Amino acid sequence: MLGLGKGASAQPAPVKVGVIYPLSGNSASAGNYSKMAIEVGADVVNNGNADLAKIIPLAKGGGLPGLGGAKIQLIFADNQGTPAAGQNQALRLISEEKVAALIGAYQSGITLTASAIAERHGIPFLTAESVAANLTERGFKWFFRVTPVAIDFARAYSTFLKEQKAAGQKVGSIALVHENTEYGNSVGSVIADQFAKDSLPITQKIAYSANSSDVQPQVLQLKEKNPDVVIFISYTSDAILYAKTMKELNWKPSIMIADNAGFNDPAFLKAMAPTVEGLVNRSAYSGGKPGSVPAIFNDLYKAKAGVELDDVSVRGLEGFLVLADAINRAGSTDPAKIQAALKATNLPAEQMAAGYDGVKFDDKGQNVLASSVVTQLQGGKYVTIFPKERATAKVILPYKGW
Amino acid sequence: MRRYLVTGALVVLALVYPLLVAGFPVYERLGALVLLGAIGASAWNIVGGYAGQVSVGHSVFFGFGAYSAVVVYTHLGWPPIAGAPLGMLLSVALAAIIGVPTLRLSGHYFSMATIAVAELVRVLSSTSEFLGGAQGLGGPAMPRTVFDLSFLSATPFYYIFLAVLAFLLGLTWWIERGRMGFYLRAIKDSERAARSLGVSSGRYKLYAYMLSGAFTSLAGSLYLCMFGFVDPESGFGILISVKMVVMAALGGAGVLFGPLVGALILVPLEELSNSYLGGRGAGLTFVVYGAIIVIIARFLPSGLLSLFERRSPARPPAKMNVASGHAD
Amino acid sequence: MSITLAQVIVSGLLLGAVYALFSSGLTLIWGMMNVVNFAHGDFVMLGMYSAVVIWTALGGGPFAAVPVAAIMIATLGILSYFLLVRHIMRGPMLAQILGTFGLALFLRYSAFWYFGADFKTLPDTLVGGSFVLAGIRFEGSRVLAGAVGLGITLLLHVILTRTAVGSRMLAVSEDATAAQLMGIRPQRMQALAWAMAGAATGIAGALIANFFYTSPTVGETLAILAFVTVSFGGFGSVLGALVAGLIIGVVESLSAYLVGPVYKDVIVYVLFVLVLWFRPQGLMGKA
Repeated sequence: MLGLGKGASAQPAPVKVGVIYPLSGNSASAGNYSKMAIEVGADVVNNGNADLAKIIPLAKGGGLPGLGGAKIQLIFADNQGTPAAGQNQALRLISEEKVAALIGAYQSGITLTASAIAERHGIPFLTAESVAANLTERGFKWFFRVTPVAIDFARAYSTFLKEQKAAGQKVGSIALVHENTEYGNSVGSVIADQFAKDSLPITQKIAYSANSSDVQPQVLQLKEKNPDVVIFISYTSDAILYAKTMKELNWKPSIMIADNAGFNDPAFLKAMAPTVEGLVNRSAYSGGKPGSVPAIFNDLYKAKAGVELDDVSVRGLEGFLVLADAINRAGSTDPAKIQAALKATNLPAEQMAAGYDGVKFDDKGQNVLASSVVTQLQGGKYVTIFPKERATAKVILPYKGW
Repeated sequence: MRRYLVTGALVVLALVYPLLVAGFPVYERLGALVLLGAIGASAWNIVGGYAGQVSVGHSVFFGFGAYSAVVVYTHLGWPPIAGAPLGMLLSVALAAIIGVPTLRLSGHYFSMATIAVAELVRVLSSTSEFLGGAQGLGGPAMPRTVFDLSFLSATPFYYIFLAVLAFLLGLTWWIERGRMGFYLRAIKDSERAARSLGVSSGRYKLYAYMLSGAFTSLAGSLYLCMFGFVDPESGFGILISVKMVVMAALGGAGVLFGPLVGALILVPLEELSNSYLGGRGAGLTFVVYGAIIVIIARFLPSGLLSLFERRSPARPPAKMNVASGHAD
Repeated sequence: MSITLAQVIVSGLLLGAVYALFSSGLTLIWGMMNVVNFAHGDFVMLGMYSAVVIWTALGGGPFAAVPVAAIMIATLGILSYFLLVRHIMRGPMLAQILGTFGLALFLRYSAFWYFGADFKTLPDTLVGGSFVLAGIRFEGSRVLAGAVGLGITLLLHVILTRTAVGSRMLAVSEDATAAQLMGIRPQRMQALAWAMAGAATGIAGALIANFFYTSPTVGETLAILAFVTVSFGGFGSVLGALVAGLIIGVVESLSAYLVGPVYKDVIVYVLFVLVLWFRPQGLMGKA
């Protein structure tokens, strides 16, 4: 018995990381893809990847060197799409599973309730994709956000459109079509504010409910006003309906922008890519050249999930990598040491799986180097077209559609 | 005598439960969650169980309670619990407004109308800037005073919920044995007969509905204090309403302890199945959860407590009693 | 009237016919047995998956999917009746909600487990694109669903009112004991009702899948609409559901276009409550 115990202790105990995602309910599709992306990340840290090891120190394999080669063990929990379940699961992961840190929880409302529990228990909580502005305004000391927020997206669109205007595209009338839950409302209002500042005229605003069974009236409203630019902020189901209905009613703007989410869902692309050729999107995922970090991770992820990395999955993956790096530097599973290490995080752009300029947190826990690229669907795949230094292809306008 | 012993033992168990699970935060919390579920379902039981008016839109009141609590914090800076009386008052008024047109409807029509009203309120709440729109509103991020009821452990919540539940069940028991209880049962059995006996059925149904709404609203306020966040879906969503109905029906609707028994089964089932199966992400939680509900409904359509009930001769045989096989 | 407005109304009518289509099974069960099936939306969802599977596995279009879905969901209906509904009918009305809600979760997440959480869609070329008539664009898949919706509703109406089987079913729904004394076997009639309702629901699902996305949770969205349509029309009245479906479809489309999409549900629900205020038995229900 004693011998066995000794033999086991030669390999340090694994570091438990709790991951809370919507694995059932309406956002389950996104949650399950993020889960796979994080599993890819953990596999790289635990078992290594020769190509990545040239760029990312933690990818050498053999776990976390700072903890004597301890492996990372992921404990997943389902938030069921409800703030209550998210909080209950956060408590369970902290008190029963004794996780060293938490990642989650996709929907901003759930991140809010789940991180409140982590704060009380003094466990670091890192969100990789919740964008609601108030999350970092709560004065929390254990909360970290890696993702860019709505204002970053709005600035990216604004700069992109001004550039197109200078290049001779018409952007005289802009329609903003957003779904009516937290995501669409918050991103929509931030875009509207930013565009007003930048004197880009939003001439039409349409809010709708994401579970509509028919979007013809909305598309007819657009068709009647015929704006030059349309910005969609939609979930998957409605994105599919818009794409179909625009084709049916045979109407398209000259620039069509989709704010990620639904229009980036692998399920959407699988079904609708041929009807939305030339769609402009934003993404935290920027393909990059072969041999770059995103490209290698994309291959690994594709082998596992059967689809390409996209905005949601790459942000989840990046969040995990940031946390793994911090735990490694902390050299301990002590939450306070991990918190200190997270605060000292300083990752360069070339180590990023996501298209960020790096990772560095401010006092509120927001990653100040987070940024988004603008992409375009060309030949059924998203390629980066903006900003120039990241672009892998040239923008093709006007919007082609089907 | 044995009955008193059993009851006494259960009461003692309820009082010492947090001590038994001290040091296991998940189980401390589970106790509080069961009681919160039982408060909601017991409140529903007054109108849905005793008066037989099956509302599937009680989330209206739950949401009002939750939003009242968070609104007094957001807009006035008060502790959320201070919004609870306000929510109850508003809910009584709202119950009168909804009840007058809908309580005239019979059977499923009433259920469907209540669903429609709840959905209506949910959509409207998501467009209201005052209520935080679709993003919802959060309570105090960090507790300021003890009145924010923001505790690290769930045990204080457990005792608050236990006190509320005890009060609610006491009130229900008192109503059950009084004149109103008699009228409600008469209305449930046959509204026409009740009316011909001179029972003002409309009025008593409305009283029951208002009372039920007030306590459902209190459940909503307590929910907000515990979880600190509400948005249209978690306040007014149809699942909230359905869960109340299912809990009461599972334990035994129109029976004093029915909703509590339902909560004792369903809440742990939901939490434990999510804890053990949810992480795999294959939806197994709800396959198991759904299957267990189906099995209970199949074998005990009148609820679990019907197991212990002596056959009451008063109940007319169900319409389709030709079916073979007895459940018991 | 502008062409756009005409287009809005036409799209509302087509939508309404689809509502009638996926509500007809619910109203049949409701009228026959006074049972509300909370799993109805999930029956539609499984019908939709039948069409998706037939397309992805066999490359079959709606002509293959419709009969398969009809048989699958009819079978599901019969199984639900014999294994569950028959028994819960002995309990109070609440037992129906309990049992069928449990069934709904079970079916929804079994589909989730088997098919995954992804949204699936069928290629819109399966049912010949769209055509323009008098300046108004009609989409093939919706016209097909609408037409079938009308056809099925009328067929069910004729079966219930003009055939011997129909009058036996109605006899059972009025008074099962009396019907039994007249030599009708109530259980057989009720199982038949579940089979017919299942078939109609399966067909609805298979056709809706042509223009709507399919996902395990899609039934939730559809179920509330079906509930409103059926009680709006008056329970048990197949024609009532048709009329209600058309009204709701047009009101939704018009209010989405004229007032704003967010408010379309609000307007429909207000209208619904008003209708019940003046006609507590729905538009065409028996008092």
